[in-house]
Amino acid sequence: MRRQIPALTSLLVVAGVLVSLPFILSDYNISLAAQVGIFFIGVLGLNILTGYTGQISIGHGAFMCIGGYTTAVMSRDHHTSLVVTMLMAFAICFVVGLLVGLPALRFSGVYLALVTFAFAVSVPLLPLQWSTFLGGSGGVQSAKTVSHLWLYGVTWAASAVLFVLAWLILRGRMGRAFRAVRDSELAAVASGIELPVYKTVAFGISAAYAGVAGSLFVLATNGFAQPSEFGVFLSLQLLVGAAIAGLGSLWGILVGAAFVGLLPAVSGSVPVVGSAHGRDVVFGAAVILVMLLLPDGFAGLVARLRRLGEA
Amino acid sequence: MATAETSRLDGLRSRGAALGGAVSPVVLLLIAGAIGLLIGCLRSDVFAQLTVQGLAIGSVYGSLALALVLVYRATHVINFAQGELAMLTTYIAWQLIQWGLSYWEAFAATLVIAFVLGTVLQVTLLRPVQHRSVIAAVIVTVGLFILIDGVVSWIWGSELKFMPPPFARTNYDVGGVSIARLYPGIFVVVLISVLLVWALFRFTKLGLGMRAAALRPQAAAFAGVRVDRMLAIGWGLAAVLGAVAGLMAEPSQFFLDPTLMQPILVYAFAAAVLGGLESPAGAVVGGLIIGVSLNLLIQYVPAISSTLQTPVAFAVLIIVLLIKPSGLFGHRTVRRV
Amino acid sequence: MITKPKSEGAYMPVNRKKLGALIGALLVTAAIAGTAAASHRSTPGVTSKKIVIGGTFPLTEGPATGGASLYKTIPFAEQAYYAYVNAKGGVFHRQIDDIIADDQYTPSETVQQTTKLVEQDHIFADVGSLGTAPGLSTWGYLNQHKVPQVLLATGDAYWGNCVHHACGGSTKPYTMGWQPDYPGEAKLYAKYILQHKPNAKIGVLYQGDAFGKNYLAGLRTGLGSHKNMIVATQSYNAGDSPNVAGAHVIPLKAAGADTLVIFATPGAAIGALATATAIGWSPLTLLGNVSANRIFMLKAGQSGASLNGVVSTAYVASQTAQANLPGMKLAKSIIDKYAPSLSQEFAAGDGNLVYGLAVGWTFVDALKHAGKNPTRASLMHALRTMDQKNNPFVYPGMVVKTSKKRTFPMEQLIFEKWAGGAGGDWKTTGKILNSGH
Repeated sequence: MRRQIPALTSLLVVAGVLVSLPFILSDYNISLAAQVGIFFIGVLGLNILTGYTGQISIGHGAFMCIGGYTTAVMSRDHHTSLVVTMLMAFAICFVVGLLVGLPALRFSGVYLALVTFAFAVSVPLLPLQWSTFLGGSGGVQSAKTVSHLWLYGVTWAASAVLFVLAWLILRGRMGRAFRAVRDSELAAVASGIELPVYKTVAFGISAAYAGVAGSLFVLATNGFAQPSEFGVFLSLQLLVGAAIAGLGSLWGILVGAAFVGLLPAVSGSVPVVGSAHGRDVVFGAAVILVMLLLPDGFAGLVARLRRLGEA
Repeated sequence: MATAETSRLDGLRSRGAALGGAVSPVVLLLIAGAIGLLIGCLRSDVFAQLTVQGLAIGSVYGSLALALVLVYRATHVINFAQGELAMLTTYIAWQLIQWGLSYWEAFAATLVIAFVLGTVLQVTLLRPVQHRSVIAAVIVTVGLFILIDGVVSWIWGSELKFMPPPFARTNYDVGGVSIARLYPGIFVVVLISVLLVWALFRFTKLGLGMRAAALRPQAAAFAGVRVDRMLAIGWGLAAVLGAVAGLMAEPSQFFLDPTLMQPILVYAFAAAVLGGLESPAGAVVGGLIIGVSLNLLIQYVPAISSTLQTPVAFAVLIIVLLIKPSGLFGHRTVRRV
Repeated sequence: MITKPKSEGAYMPVNRKKLGALIGALLVTAAIAGTAAASHRSTPGVTSKKIVIGGTFPLTEGPATGGASLYKTIPFAEQAYYAYVNAKGGVFHRQIDDIIADDQYTPSETVQQTTKLVEQDHIFADVGSLGTAPGLSTWGYLNQHKVPQVLLATGDAYWGNCVHHACGGSTKPYTMGWQPDYPGEAKLYAKYILQHKPNAKIGVLYQGDAFGKNYLAGLRTGLGSHKNMIVATQSYNAGDSPNVAGAHVIPLKAAGADTLVIFATPGAAIGALATATAIGWSPLTLLGNVSANRIFMLKAGQSGASLNGVVSTAYVASQTAQANLPGMKLAKSIIDKYAPSLSQEFAAGDGNLVYGLAVGWTFVDALKHAGKNPTRASLMHALRTMDQKNNPFVYPGMVVKTSKKRTFPMEQLIFEKWAGGAGGDWKTTGKILNSGH
């Protein structure tokens, strides 16, 4: 118990800062903070899969795409409340995640990377094919749009709920099973863990998180869902965020999310390189350096500092 | 990685044996397919033109797929940056031409630069994470993907560039069918490069060392092979094949921009898996199959528009993985837990 | 990757560090973000000395944008024109400050960059932004905030049709295009074919989205009862690479077409023209004017396409074919002086530069009519009641005009035909035609 009190304190402080931010920041900066929240959810979801069960995914942008289109289409056709569409995105992506997770059972390592990559490339092409329903390359416009403040509030509220949910899942029986699967599939099976169930469920949960992120992502784009928003780069961004945060730990996610969420907005002012190139150069260099120097990401850095502090 | 190797050194020593011994039904199918293509070509101009074009672009897929396979065999990592690396070396070739080299001088120089680049990247970026986990290595290559993209647009800008044509812009007239010289040209250049790399592996001591280092690192080290060095050279050779793919993709894509290799990488993945990730011959044949069949499919099957081309290629990839994880030519068995 | 098991004992320092790090991260977030605070002015972007405007353009190539960055010289020409006006004292002694944002032709980026322009840079108006899908992604937001979204660099019919009619739930009175619309242009190609080749068998290559389909619909309307002259159509996907897009001309030839109509963005158009030549096909070719910039044609020529006889349309003057027009001399002097890095492109015949200058001219003229103390409403009023007969950069004799009824500023085109091969140029032919509704 003693261990959890400081953790709780830090969470409360973060929550306090998040609650007070809207009073400090300008409207535009609130939209940036909301952007960070969206990536927080996405990176959190990916981390559950990659960090905790050791299944890599280069395809989470595709789940965001499905979630985003769910929101836009439901709002356009049925004027569904936006919060309800987020729940629907969660449910639909959970199911799709399970379906993708099933064949993924047979793949591991690089094969899984390839299959999920294929998924990331293919899904955003589907709206082009079924253009009457999904709007083609022109996209789908939701019936309602939201203010930055609304987006900020809902995003971070969702983040909080999903973070607690993830924490509960991961500290419990299921979390132990996930980690056992990651560390050694053989040992996990030997100790009676039903490998297919846990691997598939992890995929489902992770995809559901990405779905909610996608739903919010579309709302952040003025309710406009469009195939090119969900290109492969988005999937790569999530992976970069998860790597920087540190796989297999919940502590660095805020940093990973802030990195991928804010960099595009500030990259115009990156010295020397500038503009969109700046974003790519910094993204690429950062992820490589983190993998080389901080194998456990930001969360690992904290652990290292701790050891330094003890010495 | 819950996989077990059943590959045998002798199986790899002779590609012919590997092809003939295990997968003769596949070979028969391929021969049947080739005959079908030939008949189609004789009966229809359009079919012939599409086939020739498909073979050319398919050979580009094949050489990039072969690069992926070389890296995979050497280090058990899929290099997501393989395509962007090829794009970078194509820009280098463009730059060399701007500085006054002729096309083929630049071509040769680029291959040398690509080799050095591939080797250096392996040593500096991949070697440190190689033993940690597949995920770590894949993430590094993803980072490299983004980094190269940024660096190229930074140095050269993202406006379109044009290279001088490698082959004269004339058309052959083959039995009344007009075929641009470009397409057989691409095919031949790629084929020669692939054969040279194959010969290197097959007939040289270096090649033997590399195969040994990839397959049985401990045994190879015991026998005096510098395993680390061999793996780095493997990356270098992969970069060379990628460079050939990039340089031959440019004329078929009509111009050079930073996204040159992204669609090609996608098909190269499919080609590599189709051939079996461990099989060099499979990668090349896989590339040709994908190049030709997609080109024909979108023209003759109305339900498959060019939009569905990529999803179809990937559906094939996933089906192959589910039914025959070792691909058309692979020996590898994926052990399931 | 495996997290190292946390060693037992001494938790407090850990968590203090964690805590510090988390707060640190948040503070960094806030610090990066929290710079400019909103200030309350009567008209955003307008001070006694300055008018700040902005726009979004594909300066770099995003994934699957198929050569959109070919258009990137447009905003720099606009900036050059504003610099020229500023050097002459500006508009009512105000300098025009034009901020160019890169959206990579990707709507999610467009939204971010536009939000930044409006809320961070406090622009007076969004002027000249490029692209249909990017424009659609922001028009709701801009109209809601009553920010003019004007002189858009896209010819879709939305920009004129939604002023009085609700689109996507509301009218879009703050949105306005500039160039002639695509369906109107396509109708003229239909007329051209009926007149010059009444027995043509038409094959159409079009981009499989709103842009291409609107063009195709216009062509069908224009052919009227002769619709069945279209013997085959092929669509490609906006993200296709040029060779994939270009390969679609092969079945058009096979279907027996002797006339090729291309409604495509530049990358695909280059691919199509080069592929047609590569398969030994030389039909009568009509090319939508979004891809007919001379430098795109030269690039198609470099890629092996034979270009003679290709037909397209023009609405801005040409600095190469009409170098002696006073407007083109002025254009050259402006580019040479205020955008010298583009002089080479200008000399090569980059029509986008003239396009940008023409849009800049239209905006400055409207701004002059918006009064000494312009507001967003007065700018819109000025733009809705334009009558510009003397824009020196549009094709001589064409007018830029709007009224309550006329919501498309440009409704005129002239045919042009390519001559001179790989190093040749467009030559206009015939009279100025009406492409309006």
